[in-house]
Amino acid sequence: MDFRLTPEQQMLKDSARDFLADHCSSDFVRQMEQDRRGFTSELWAGMAELGWMGLLIPEEYGGIGWGLTELVVMAEEMGRACLPGPFLPTTLGALALAQAGNEAQKQEILPAVVSGEAVLTLAYLEAGCAVYDPLFQAATARKQDGAWLLEGGKLFVPDAEASHWILLCARTSGSLRDQEGISLFLAPRAARGLELRPLKTIAGDKQFEVSLKEVALPPDALVGEAGQGWPLLEQLLMTGALAKCGEMVGGAAKVLEITADYAKERVQFGSPIGRFQAVQHHCANMLMDLESSRFITRKAAWSMGQERPNPMLVAAAKAWVSEAYRRVVSLGHQIGAATAYIVEHDMTLFSRRAKAAELAFGDAAYHYGQVAQRLGL
Amino acid sequence: MNFGYTDEEERFRQELAVFLDKHLTEEIARQNWEDKGVGPEAREFSRKLAAYGFLGMGWPEEYGGKGLPPAYDFILLDELGKRWGAHVPLDVGYTMVGHTILRRGSEAMKKEFLPKIVGGEIEFCLGYTEPNAGSDLAAMMMRAEDKGDHFLISGQKTFNTECHYADYHWLAARTDFSPQGTGYKGVSLFIVDMDAPGVTVRPLWTMSGERTNEVYYDEVKVPRERLVGEKNKGFYYMMEALGSERNQVFVPSRLRPVLNMLLAYAQETRYQDRPLSKDPVVRRQLARAAVELEVAEVVADHSRWLEALELPMTHQPEMTKVMVSELEQRLVNAGMRILGPYGQLEEGSPWAPLGGRIEWYYLHSFMTTIGAGTSEIGRNVIAQRGLGLPRG
Ligand SMILES: Cc1cc2nc3c(=O)[nH]c(=O)nc-3n(C[C@H](O)[C@H](O)[C@H](O)COP(=O)(O)OP(=O)(O)OC[C@H]3O[C@@H](n4cnc5c(N)ncnc54)[C@H](O)[C@@H]3O)c2cc1C
Repeated sequence: MDFRLTPEQQMLKDSARDFLADHCSSDFVRQMEQDRRGFTSELWAGMAELGWMGLLIPEEYGGIGWGLTELVVMAEEMGRACLPGPFLPTTLGALALAQAGNEAQKQEILPAVVSGEAVLTLAYLEAGCAVYDPLFQAATARKQDGAWLLEGGKLFVPDAEASHWILLCARTSGSLRDQEGISLFLAPRAARGLELRPLKTIAGDKQFEVSLKEVALPPDALVGEAGQGWPLLEQLLMTGALAKCGEMVGGAAKVLEITADYAKERVQFGSPIGRFQAVQHHCANMLMDLESSRFITRKAAWSMGQERPNPMLVAAAKAWVSEAYRRVVSLGHQIGAATAYIVEHDMTLFSRRAKAAELAFGDAAYHYGQVAQRLGL
Repeated sequence: MNFGYTDEEERFRQELAVFLDKHLTEEIARQNWEDKGVGPEAREFSRKLAAYGFLGMGWPEEYGGKGLPPAYDFILLDELGKRWGAHVPLDVGYTMVGHTILRRGSEAMKKEFLPKIVGGEIEFCLGYTEPNAGSDLAAMMMRAEDKGDHFLISGQKTFNTECHYADYHWLAARTDFSPQGTGYKGVSLFIVDMDAPGVTVRPLWTMSGERTNEVYYDEVKVPRERLVGEKNKGFYYMMEALGSERNQVFVPSRLRPVLNMLLAYAQETRYQDRPLSKDPVVRRQLARAAVELEVAEVVADHSRWLEALELPMTHQPEMTKVMVSELEQRLVNAGMRILGPYGQLEEGSPWAPLGGRIEWYYLHSFMTTIGAGTSEIGRNVIAQRGLGLPRG
């Protein structure tokens, strides 16, 4: 057992922290919330230069070919800086292609992802469904005159407008919540019949509703085998959940830093508020939530790279961290009090993103359900 | 034992309900400090409320009131709360400072202000907090120098919420600068015209979009008649008023519409061929919220009852404050859980459930355990006043 990062991981982490300190200030983050696209080309190019988008992409396509532990370590830094933009959707899209795409798709798109030229996203949730449920796939794809015709809609699609390609989940057979019959397609964002409508969200991130009206795609737009997309989607969602956990851990670490500093500085009743035991207990609770979250996230990510992975750990991590992070930001607000509630204060960046991250890739309730299933219940 | 209302009180409630259902539109209900800010419509509504005889029930007749027991005013707050209008539109004057004017103000001050407060005509804003005096209000530094017929006031307040639309600032400032006047001993209360020369108001915008303010005083001349009660007794007046203010401001009924909204949503929204309301987790969350709300209501009623009978209140109003504000957070958290991924959508977004109200309330709820005194200070007060535990 070794809780330390490898020297390579440490380097990755340090360089990410340095880069984000220079290129992703909280003012920039606030500015990007107002920006339609939500990130800048310079930022994206800088990330590409550091090789970030190639993190999970195999070396033969220009990537670094690292694993989920590295992804999580990076995500911690991104969460700490509230990095805006389509890093995670692009990473998941690329992972889908790397795992199941045909050679032409890989050749065309993966190097372009690595170089920062291609932005991807994943569209899998639907508006007809009241809760988070990735099995709920009502959008359909059928073969007609040699082409795939997609019909239906997707919701909560991150960065759809900035994307060049959208990985769309649609049903090619089976009924609503069947695993069997789910397929993934690679659609150009500019495809005819594919329309976007922006959503307004708590985190000011850029999510969209995607409607599909007779969107015609060539036969080779299919990613993997028709009807066999679920295991791939499930793997993408686990990867997404782990990355979100990483982001939340990084965010929680920063929130605790801001809070502990403030508790040492802010004087009331002639003493730093950090001397009051009520405040100390809050800080202690935050630290317990932070460290437990970091450990379970890293362990889950590590496990997924092992010969006998334990996917229950991923669900456990997402369930635990989603709730822990919400507790951390609540206490951060409580200790920061009125000052931290003003919109210019960085705490508000974290608390709004905490909610978005809690919901992304399944909230705690969903993942408790997953754990129960994996326990054989 | 009797937990009910008298026939007359019930009749009042019914008449009021008819009036509110007709006149308290959503547009007006949302014109309060927490949400869109008070505008001409809310002011008009306040005057109408008074004109129809629903304001000033518990206030003395000589100042425009009806001389009835406080229960009527609590009914008013409850009924407003049930309709999203948690506050009387001009609420600082009516639920807070007016009572101190009545208790401590000079006769001239009472005659000048109370009829207008009871008439729904004027609003105050609270000027207590300073950058270095939040929980520790006795550390305030705003200087008010006694110049005989007037005071000359300079300094800064912060998080003074209604100041951008209020007519008067209810200001606490230091009037004794001698070593004996430190802490709570040297503080006085003033009523200051918001348009007095030298007063500057700057906005502070909060996470959920409500506005609060920084207020700067630069040698503002305040006539001696605007000193409330005696000089250097201000802190004592503030503390004396606190219990009643808690009773009037932390009105549990304002959580009813939130709960009702979620109940309706759970019944109308289906997943896997059944309403969400049949899901055991959702049921439990809503049932728990309903239980907590019942409990908070009876706890608040107890404290109001003490006030009505002029019995001593020690920790009870603080208990109401802590419980209502924390329940508010748990309730909207439960709401966010029930809304799932839709919970993150803001008012005005496609697919935003319940008009984005829960999302807004979620962001707003971070302040409920801070504003008007934090939960930590509240618990200190409960332990010390309620149980006589030593002060830390
Ligand atoms: C939206 C909003 C509106 C407001 N409106 C007004 C207004 O209209 N007028 C006005 O005057 N004020 C207003 N306030 C200010 C409010 O009253 C203060 O925020 C509150 O009293 C807490 O002060 P603070 O924010 O400076 O926190 P601090 O006092 O700095 O407290 C920071 C943290 O330390 C804790 N702490 C402090 N002392 C102790 C202790 N002895 N023991 C344990 N813990 C302690 C607190 O609980 C808190 O967690 C408003 C605040 C908000 C957020």
